[in-house]
Amino acid sequence: MIKQLTKYPILLSIIVVLSSCDSFVEVDLPNSQLTNTAVFEDYSTANAALMDIYAKMRDTGILTGTNMGISNQMGNYTDELMASGDPSNLSWPFYNNSVLPSSSNVAEYWNASYNQIYAANALLEGTEQSKTLSSEDKKQLQGEALFIRALLHFYLLNLFGDIPYIKETDYKKNSTATRIPTQEVYQHIIADLERAQAILPIHFDNPQKVRADKYTIKALLARVYLYTKSFAEAANEASSLLNQTDLYSLEDNLSGVFLISSRETIWQFQSSLAGQNTKEGSLFIFEAGPPSITALNPLLINSFATDDLRKANWTKSVTDGTSVWYYSYKYKEQNATAVSKEYSVVFRLAEQYLIRAEARAQQGDLIGAKEDLNKIRTRAGLPNTIAITQQQLLIAVLQERYWEFFTEQGHRFFDLKRSSELDKTLSGIKPGWKTTDSLLPIPQNELSVNPNLRPQNPGY
Amino acid sequence: MNYFSFYKDGKALYCLIFTGIMLSFSSTFAENPKRLIKSISQQHQVQGTVTDGSSPLPGVTIAIKGRSTNASISDYNGQYSISVGVSDTLVVSFIGFKKALIPVQGRSKIDIVLQYDTTTLQEVRVNAGYYSVKESERTGSIARITSKDIETQPVTNVLATMQGRMAGVSITQTTGTAGGGFDIKIRGQNSIRPDANAPLYIIDGVPYSSDAIGSGQTSTIFPTSTSPLNSINPETIESIEVLKDADATSIYGSRGANGVVLITTKKGKAGKTKFSLTSSTGIGKVTKFLNLMNTEQYLVMRKQAFVNDGITEYNPWDYDVNGTWDQNRNTDWQKELLGGSSQISELQGTISGGSEQTQFMINGNYHHETTVFPGDFGYKKGGSQMNLNHRSENNKFRIAFSAGYNVQNNLQPAFDLTNEARFQPPNAPALYNADGTLNWENGTWENPLRNLNAKYESKTKDLIANTLLSYEIAKDLTIKSSFGYTDLKTIETRTSPSTLYNPIYNVSSMRSSIYSNNTNRSSWIIEPQINWEKVLGDGKLGILTGATFQNQTTSTLYQSASGFSSNSLIYNLAAAKFVSILQNDETQYKYQAFFARINYNLIDKYIVNFTARRDGSSRFGPGNQFATFGAIGVAWLFSNENFLKNSSWFSFGKIRSSYGTTGNDQIGDYQYLNTYTTSGVNYNNAIGLQPSRLFNPDFAWEINKKLEFAIELGFLKDRIFATASWYQNRSSNQLVGIPLAGTTGFTLLQANLDATVQNRGTELTLRTVNFNKGNFKWSTNFNLTFATNKLLAFPGLESSPYNQKYRIGEPLNIVLLYKYKGINPQTGIYEFEDLNNDGTTSFPDDRQTTANLNPKFYGGIQNQFELKRWKLDFHFQFVKQTNRSFPMGPAGMMSNQQARIAQSWQAPGDNAPYQIFTTGYNNDALMANYFYSESTAVLTDASFIRLKNISLSYELPVNLKESSCKIMLQGQNLLTFTKYIDGDPEFTTYGYLPPLKVISLAVQLTF
Repeated sequence: MIKQLTKYPILLSIIVVLSSCDSFVEVDLPNSQLTNTAVFEDYSTANAALMDIYAKMRDTGILTGTNMGISNQMGNYTDELMASGDPSNLSWPFYNNSVLPSSSNVAEYWNASYNQIYAANALLEGTEQSKTLSSEDKKQLQGEALFIRALLHFYLLNLFGDIPYIKETDYKKNSTATRIPTQEVYQHIIADLERAQAILPIHFDNPQKVRADKYTIKALLARVYLYTKSFAEAANEASSLLNQTDLYSLEDNLSGVFLISSRETIWQFQSSLAGQNTKEGSLFIFEAGPPSITALNPLLINSFATDDLRKANWTKSVTDGTSVWYYSYKYKEQNATAVSKEYSVVFRLAEQYLIRAEARAQQGDLIGAKEDLNKIRTRAGLPNTIAITQQQLLIAVLQERYWEFFTEQGHRFFDLKRSSELDKTLSGIKPGWKTTDSLLPIPQNELSVNPNLRPQNPGY
Repeated sequence: MNYFSFYKDGKALYCLIFTGIMLSFSSTFAENPKRLIKSISQQHQVQGTVTDGSSPLPGVTIAIKGRSTNASISDYNGQYSISVGVSDTLVVSFIGFKKALIPVQGRSKIDIVLQYDTTTLQEVRVNAGYYSVKESERTGSIARITSKDIETQPVTNVLATMQGRMAGVSITQTTGTAGGGFDIKIRGQNSIRPDANAPLYIIDGVPYSSDAIGSGQTSTIFPTSTSPLNSINPETIESIEVLKDADATSIYGSRGANGVVLITTKKGKAGKTKFSLTSSTGIGKVTKFLNLMNTEQYLVMRKQAFVNDGITEYNPWDYDVNGTWDQNRNTDWQKELLGGSSQISELQGTISGGSEQTQFMINGNYHHETTVFPGDFGYKKGGSQMNLNHRSENNKFRIAFSAGYNVQNNLQPAFDLTNEARFQPPNAPALYNADGTLNWENGTWENPLRNLNAKYESKTKDLIANTLLSYEIAKDLTIKSSFGYTDLKTIETRTSPSTLYNPIYNVSSMRSSIYSNNTNRSSWIIEPQINWEKVLGDGKLGILTGATFQNQTTSTLYQSASGFSSNSLIYNLAAAKFVSILQNDETQYKYQAFFARINYNLIDKYIVNFTARRDGSSRFGPGNQFATFGAIGVAWLFSNENFLKNSSWFSFGKIRSSYGTTGNDQIGDYQYLNTYTTSGVNYNNAIGLQPSRLFNPDFAWEINKKLEFAIELGFLKDRIFATASWYQNRSSNQLVGIPLAGTTGFTLLQANLDATVQNRGTELTLRTVNFNKGNFKWSTNFNLTFATNKLLAFPGLESSPYNQKYRIGEPLNIVLLYKYKGINPQTGIYEFEDLNNDGTTSFPDDRQTTANLNPKFYGGIQNQFELKRWKLDFHFQFVKQTNRSFPMGPAGMMSNQQARIAQSWQAPGDNAPYQIFTTGYNNDALMANYFYSESTAVLTDASFIRLKNISLSYELPVNLKESSCKIMLQGQNLLTFTKYIDGDPEFTTYGYLPPLKVISLAVQLTF
């Protein structure tokens, strides 16, 4: 047999040659991918990695303006909105306060947020290891990433209660993360925000306020201090923002508040394409009734004083002859326009006035509190507040926030919750309301893949 | 029957075509005439009839011994004629009969009677991929069906033809929509990763990637992304072999773990040029619907729900009960939306023939079917297959070329209407207004037909070509190499026009959008081989070695566009205001291997077969790219031992066994890299970059160890032939996307999991010729598979992400369920066993009852009857399994329910099977309903026996030489016997169109 084969040395050598090319199975990178190291060698690619997180927050998860975001769903959960349309509408379980642990919407809040947090952590680690990025660039990118990490944990905390605080990309650690108490989560948030504030440059090229800058961080800090009842710090942070009169001021005309150029805006999400407007506009506006997804809750409409300009400017009605429906008309563009007119606003100055009003009232500065509250009332065409006592003032601020921030990132739910007013306000008007609804359920799948997250929140 | 008139009037046409074809192939025959003329002077013509003793045999080859240039084939009446020399010997051969050698001895009329040879089934050569092996001598486990089984089935997908016909092969149809896919498992689920259980497909020697070509955004009509397997035309297939055990699959190494499906296309045969035309037409309808409530039952339920919730005044949006909608309407929405008939028509034409040296076959085909949904939708498929074989005069050089080109064009609604048909309230308004426009009932109703405005369209073109060159260097040494090429192009679109929305919302075409997916995949493969065969001592030694080089490139372009000035421009991306490129990528898969087979056959009694393969794949990171797999197979043909050789009743006996390893690399490309990918999304003048995945470079091959024992027995000249095999496959080093906690930022991690999965089973097949005398023949084929699947080991399961998905000692395909206790007679709410005694139903502690959803056994039984010109073939498929009933959500909301739900709890003390109705406010009932849908209460017997296929054919008596005309009546899925309560028991995902039952009439002309 061997003899036979050796007659054909050429054949043998072909086989031998063929068998030696191990490098055959090495392939080039696909043209859509860059190695991690390469991304952070260069500012433009590192910046693209950061911009993608903003885009993801705009398009997915908690802050998106689609029907799945909290502006809509948590609005339905309380007394801002009323779900409508066929049973497949994802807003029904929120409107009925019957959200299940298996809800894909809840899983989306969780998974999308932690995915965005991962991207922020990857950016922090990648820029840290980069040898070619300038320290200025590093600081700016890292400051924004820290802000994003703090912001997302803030929302997760207020929706789900105790949560893990994720600060690195190591999946081995993160896959068994444990829930930490609310106060600890807040300490991490504040620490991140303070570090971000320290390293972010004061001014950088951000004319449309579509990236987080130093003042965005102050705005979130003011809110965090208010939520943690550190009223002096809350008032301080709000003041330092309100004093930047060359940068920010209330828009006198309510119709201008949500325009791209609004002087009131502190941070907003840019639309993905030139000419596109907000997802909120597409979601909330409808031209004929009944609406297919959601309309403003009649309770909200009926609570407005007749001469409240916000009712005239920020809501609009539709009728089919017998019934009347209202929708949120803060964003006025449902479709694309030649040039984009509106972006989705996340932080605006009016909130800082009401944060300071509340913080001042809590500290006993009733005059200062009234002054801030009246700023907002005056703009809405309302007379000065008639609240006199501290208690009355706090109630007035809570009510003012209802009118001012409806359909904006679930303010109403968070406000009622932190002032322990959820049960009192909602149990009479929402048949499905239960005390345990103050927290959303931890997604069922998360409980099953990470036993450290158990037990489930009460009531689920 | 206009087919006949076509036949009669078409004689002229026939002549014309024939002449044309003869002319076009004249070059093929060009070398022959001279030699013929030279010998004709010494020759004379012999005529006669070939029979089996009672009836004529058509298609018998009559050749002349020692002369390969001249052969004839008997016509339909068994008649033949051939020129012979006075002292020649006729060689008469026909499959299933003993070869006859008949000296001419100067006669001019020789009638030939052929003897049945039942043992020749053992002589059939079975395709084993790189080599073929005689049925009697094979050491591996190979199941096989041939064109005979395939041609009787009016189906378009190659996997459909195999359903219920092969032991150990479980196939489930995932949707009844044309162009949809099938789920196949060969000897069970080996990999924990559900989408890594696909077998390797090889078409005429070319690996054919079955990876999905659709994208999630476009192929929304199907439960899984579009599979490329629809490109294969079943009618052009000669045989399908499924390789199951280590002996057969190890030579495919890393890709053999889930079995190998070898598809061989039809080849031309030497002889007169043959034309064959088949035309068929048929209709298809949904097999089974759910039994849902009618309006009366539905309104009772709804009104009771309001009473239960304490709501006295209907909400303005409760249109079905508050008087907005007519409460006397009653529509069976399943009938309305899914009850249509699919019109199916098909045309096939084949020309084949050739000389002893060169044979050819050309096939052209066209298939068209409409849908059962309302609206003008359809699936078109057309293609051509060509095979060419040639060998040199000295028989040393051979070339075999085959090429298939198929075009598919599928137009369907963008979304399956099945769920919408099931959930629609029965008193929902009429679909159309009097003027024929869609009725939106003043904006109170989402008309289900709006969905028809959103369209899914796919156009696929697929080329598969292969050339095999071989040269016989010496008598026992052959070198050969195959060169294969595949090229697949698909364009898919899904539109979402503004007409999807109620017109009163005044949504303009500026809101219309389209998603498109262009996927191109091409691959080449080169496989040089050396084959050496030698008689060595008392035995035969065969050695085969070879190498594989394969390269596959897949490019994808996913786009979306929105903002059109008019809906009629929706397919023109240039007319869109916004165009986004969602993905534009090109990936490469490279694969390299060396393989060998050593086979030794000692005096046709003892056979040993070694196979091995060393594999390298680009899907793994540096250091993990190469691995070696191998197997040994042995067989003992004990019927050839002296003590049995002359037995009158025992005709065949073989014991075989094999053991070896295979691997699995189905994890997708580039998963070991640490990269960022463009997201295609713009923010602040930058196109985003996103982290691609969690970084883990250290994963490697999944290993699958297979063991098999089998016995094959033939009795009474193999009229009774039985096989029994037992197998055990163990997969370890599981390569999976491990579900991870969301806090990691991702939901999956690519890694090797230290878990072992075992598949064990017994496969039985029985083939009997029950009756074979005179004009009547009756034979039966039976196959039965008992299979078990078990998770053997999983270190750290408790703390792993799989702790609520798998249980050690249980199959992979289990569900964990709450244990249903019954309804609390006081509250009317479902109750479940409180395993952890915390006073409430809680996840996961109370959801711990396991249920096995794998089939317990499955198989098929086929009977074939032949009487004169009639042939009846019917095939039952059976599956014994448990599944879950269809969950329709909490009863009492504005959505229909199964009729049985009407028996609900009404008042304290009631003893009813279903809980209290709620409109959505009774939180406890909602939670309980959710637990119920994940409880033991929904388990139901989903076993079924299905008349998978029935085919009746009749050969018309045609008095034309060598011609035949056959009429065939074929049915698929015609009868289903099942206890399953929610429609058709065959499904993988809830809410998709069930399989269709199809009946068709076909006419086949051969001349």
